[in-house]
Amino acid sequence: MPQIFEASKKAFITGNEAIAWAALAAGAEIMFGYPITPQNEVMHYWTRLAPEYGKGFLQTEDELSAGFTVCGAVQSGKKAFTATAGPGNVLMQEPFGMAEAMRLPLFAVIQQRGGPSSGTVVYSQQEVTLTTYGGNGEGHRIVYSTATHQEIYDYTIKGFNTAWKYRFPTFLLGDGYQAKMREPLEMYNPEEHGIEMVKTYPLVGLQGKIGEDREPQHLCNIYSLEEELYEVVLKFAAEYEAITPELVEYEEKGCEDAEIIILSHGVVSRAADDAVKILRAQGIKAGYFRPITLRPFPQKQLREAINRKPARKLLIAESAYGQLDRLTKQEIYGETVAIENLFMPGVGIIDYDIINKVKSIM
Amino acid sequence: MGMIAPAIPKSWYLPSKPHKFCPGCGHGIVLKALGETIDELEIQDQVVFGCDIGCSLLSWNFFACDSTQTHHGRTTPVMVGIKRSRPELITIGYMGDGGGYSIGSQHLLNSAVRNEKVTLILVNNTNYGMTGGQMAPTTLPGQKTETSPFGRDVDLTGYPTRGPEFIAELTPDSAYVARATVSKYKQLRRFLRNALRNQMEGNGFSFVEVLSTCPTNWRTNAQQTWHFLEDEMEQYFPIGEIKTPFGKGDK
Amino acid sequence: MGEYASGKSEVAINRALELKRQGREVTLVDLDTVEPFYTLRTLKNDLEKKGLKVLAFTRAQSFGLGETGAMLNPAARWALKQEGDIILDVGYGVFGAQTLNLVEGAYESPELKIMAVINYSRPMTGNRERIRSYIKNLGRVDAIVANTHMGDESTIDIIKAGNQEIFIVAAELGIPIAYQVLDEKLKDSGEKNWEIPVKYIKRFMPTAIW
Repeated sequence: MPQIFEASKKAFITGNEAIAWAALAAGAEIMFGYPITPQNEVMHYWTRLAPEYGKGFLQTEDELSAGFTVCGAVQSGKKAFTATAGPGNVLMQEPFGMAEAMRLPLFAVIQQRGGPSSGTVVYSQQEVTLTTYGGNGEGHRIVYSTATHQEIYDYTIKGFNTAWKYRFPTFLLGDGYQAKMREPLEMYNPEEHGIEMVKTYPLVGLQGKIGEDREPQHLCNIYSLEEELYEVVLKFAAEYEAITPELVEYEEKGCEDAEIIILSHGVVSRAADDAVKILRAQGIKAGYFRPITLRPFPQKQLREAINRKPARKLLIAESAYGQLDRLTKQEIYGETVAIENLFMPGVGIIDYDIINKVKSIM
Repeated sequence: MGMIAPAIPKSWYLPSKPHKFCPGCGHGIVLKALGETIDELEIQDQVVFGCDIGCSLLSWNFFACDSTQTHHGRTTPVMVGIKRSRPELITIGYMGDGGGYSIGSQHLLNSAVRNEKVTLILVNNTNYGMTGGQMAPTTLPGQKTETSPFGRDVDLTGYPTRGPEFIAELTPDSAYVARATVSKYKQLRRFLRNALRNQMEGNGFSFVEVLSTCPTNWRTNAQQTWHFLEDEMEQYFPIGEIKTPFGKGDK
Repeated sequence: MGEYASGKSEVAINRALELKRQGREVTLVDLDTVEPFYTLRTLKNDLEKKGLKVLAFTRAQSFGLGETGAMLNPAARWALKQEGDIILDVGYGVFGAQTLNLVEGAYESPELKIMAVINYSRPMTGNRERIRSYIKNLGRVDAIVANTHMGDESTIDIIKAGNQEIFIVAAELGIPIAYQVLDEKLKDSGEKNWEIPVKYIKRFMPTAIW
C-alpha cells in the first residue's frame, strides 16, 4: 500500500479533516456521501485530496443511496466508507441493516447533531441508540465513541480494519464539537505504528471462470422460513459474542477507591476527566469510566470497576436524555449501585456541570 | 438427434430450476432473454446481477453469475456502488415497477442524470405482485387492484408512470433507453443486447422497461392475459427504442 | 482569508482589537458563508463589550435557519458603509477571494488589502508545494500573515520552522509577509531573533463553545 506520509507528522486540524486523512492513510479507496452538517468537511477534504491519491468519490442523491453504494462497493472488494449525521443517520439505518444482514465490511462515520428531527446542526450525543441498535435487527454492530482528534484518527484506521476483519458494520461515533474543534494530532502511516491493514477481498465479481474455477456467488438477506432466519441471527449473535472480549475497549481512572464513578462517553468524557481531577483535589473520591466501544459494551469491566471499592454511586453524564443511561442499565443489570444522571440533551457538558451535580448528590 | 430439449441458457443456475415464478408470469421470459444475451455476449464471469425485493427477488439465484439481493428500491445504488468501484464488471440491476418508479425513483432518476454506466431492467406488470396485487405507479387508469378496488382513479392517484420517456429526457445521447415487451421475444433480446453492449462499451446509462404479465394478480386466463398485455398496456406504454447510440432505433 | 482553521478569525479579532486600542473605530465582519454559526457567533457579545462593532449573526438571529449552511448576513453585504476600519473575516471554501464579490464595493475600494493567513501545521498548507498552489487558488493576495502554530502544543521551534517555509514560498510568489503571529503565551520565550515582525495575539476561539 502506498504511504500517504513520508513520515508521521504533527498537524493542527479539525476532527472532520482527521477522518479524511486517516481514511487515506488506511487505504480507503472510495467515499460515497451526501451533504449534512456537521460532517461536510469529511467530504470537502476527501474531494480535495482524492485526485492527488487516485481515490474515488460520489455525491449521491441522498443518504439511502450513499449507504447502499457503500454496500455495493464493499461487496465488490473495495475499501469504501461514508459519513453522516442526524436525519442522514436515520436514512442510513436501512443500508446499515443490509450490511448487518449480509455481514458487509461497511465503515461509517457519524457526527452526532441535535435531535429529534432536524434538531440542531451543532452537537449532541443523541445518536447513541440509533447507531448501536438502529434498524430492524439486533444491533450486531461495532461502535467506537471517540473523545479526541488523535482518537478520531486512530479509530478511523482501526474502524476499517475491524469492519474487514470481523465483517460487522463498524461506526466511528463522533459529534459536531469533535467535527469542528481544532487540535493537534499525529498523522501517520499505519505501518509506522505497527498496524497491518486487513486485506480487502470481493464478495461478488470474483476472479475465475464460473463452472470451471469456481461457483457463482449468490448473496442474500431475505429468507423464506422463520427457522432459516433464526439460524442466521443466532449464528451472528454467537459470532458477535465470541469476538466481544477482543473488541471491547474502555478507559478507567481512579475507580479503585471511588465513592462515585462518573460514566460518560465521547467528548463529554473530557469534561468528566477534568471533573474527577478537580473533585479529587477537593477530597471527593471520584472515579472515571468511559466505554470506548459502545457496542460491544465493556459491561464486565464496568461491573468490576463498580465493585472494586465498591462505589456507592454511578453518575451517568451525557448530552442526551438517557441514551447512554439505558444502554448501561441493560448491560449491568443486577448491580445495586445507585445510578444518578446528568442529562443535557443537545448541549455541551463542562467539568463544572459534573462537579455541581456530584456535590448535589454526595 | 434425439428429443428436442428446450434450450437452457448456459448462464442459468440449474440448481434453482425449475424457477418459482407463477405460471404465465412474464419474468421467466425476461430472464430467459437475459440469460441468452449474457451467453451471446460471453459476459457470464463479469456480470454482477442485483435484484430488488418483490417478485424480481425470485431471480436472486436464477443465474450462474455473481448475484446479490438488495432492498426494495435500492438495487440501483448497490449497482452504482459496484460499478463505480470496479468499472470492469458488468452490473445488471433487476427490479419491478414499484421498486424502480416508486420507492426507488430518486435513485433511478439521479443515476440516469449522472449517466451511471449500469444496466437496469425494470419489469412492468402494472401492480405489486409479491405483496398481493396492490396499485403500482404503472397501474392503468380504471384498473382494479387491492388498493384501488374501484379501479385506478386518475383524479386521486394520477396517471401511470411512463418511465423510459422520462428517463430519455434526463439522459445524454450516450444513454440507451427502451421499452420492450415479453410478447415480442426477438425484439426483447435485441433491446437487452443493446442495453448491455452500451454498458460494455462504456457509453452510459442503459435502461430497459419490459412490459410483462401477472395473470395471478390480474385474475386472467391465458387469452385475457395476452389481451391485456398487447392491447391495453401497449396502448399506454409504446414499445421501442427511445434513445440509442446504435443507429436510428427500433420503434 | 485562508485555509479552513488557519486562524483567520483569531488574526482578524486581534487586529481589530489592536486598531481599537489605537482609538480607531473598527468593524469586524463575519464573512464565513460556509459555516457562519460555528465562528464568530458566540464571541460577538464579548467583542462588542470591548468596543468593536461586530457584523455577525447572533444566537437569536440564527433561530429557525436550520442547516446553517451558506448564509450571507445582509449586514455583511453593506459592510463598507460602516465608518472607520473594516476587517472582513472571510471563511474558507473553493472560491477564495471571489467571496469578496459578496461585499458591495469591496473590489472597487483602493483601500482593500487581502491578507492570506497561513498555518504550516495545517496539512493542506503543510509543504511548499501545497502552500504555493493554495495561495494561487485564492486569487488576489496582497500580503501573507504567517500563523504557524500547533494549538496548546505550539513551540518556538515549530513556529519558526513552519513560518520559514511560508517565507520562502512568499518570496517566490513575490507576495510580502505582513507579519507573523504568536500566541501571547509565548511572549516570555526569550526568542529575539525574528526576521519578520511579530504580533502577539490572544486566542479567543478556544473559548467559543458552539
